[in-house]
Amino acid sequence: MSRIENRIRRLRFDHNEMTQEELADRAGCTRQTVIALEQNRYVPSIELAFRVAKAFGVPLEEVFQYEDSQG
Amino acid sequence: MAPLQKRALYSFIVGLVLTIALAAVLVARGSVTALENDLSLRLILYAVLIGVPLIYLILMNLTLRKPTQFDERDRLIIERSSRAQWLAVIFTLVAWTITLTEIYRKQGQVPTIFLNLIFMSTLIIGTLAQSLGILVGYWEMNRNE
Repeated sequence: MSRIENRIRRLRFDHNEMTQEELADRAGCTRQTVIALEQNRYVPSIELAFRVAKAFGVPLEEVFQYEDSQG
Repeated sequence: MAPLQKRALYSFIVGLVLTIALAAVLVARGSVTALENDLSLRLILYAVLIGVPLIYLILMNLTLRKPTQFDERDRLIIERSSRAQWLAVIFTLVAWTITLTEIYRKQGQVPTIFLNLIFMSTLIIGTLAQSLGILVGYWEMNRNE
């Protein structure tokens, strides 16, 4: 089992309390997808993951972390 | 509610209303074959046959064009819903084929009005199945992932 965690909510607040709508506009997705990402209900494509990281101006691994339960 | 989810809900409602309206017309006329002698009713049927796919196409295009209203998550749900649509269409055609074959087997011919009804029902059921597939897709995505 593996899981991709993210720090989107934290990063939004660290970036001047960016709204979900703003992030969606910058990353080119819908607000509903941002909500789903924040609640870990959706794993994005690599392209969207890069766009989200770019919206925050940070490297990809600062936003998404791969957690492998098998160690 | 996502824009695509809203469109799916509207399509589902419109599809249901169309189904009920069509069934009501057929019941009011007493028989399916009575439509063959009623030009005005056939014209309405043709208008619906052309109008429904056109409206659907326009509504979907309006949604799909805006990146802030439609993204990869919605695309994934649409792809999954297409499987439900395909199955529904196939089962509708199977049902029509078996029913008409059994009813008109001895006559050796089927009234032409059934061509319209087969297309109409396939269109409605296809739209309903896709809309339902989209709604279930959102529900499942919110529940499982």
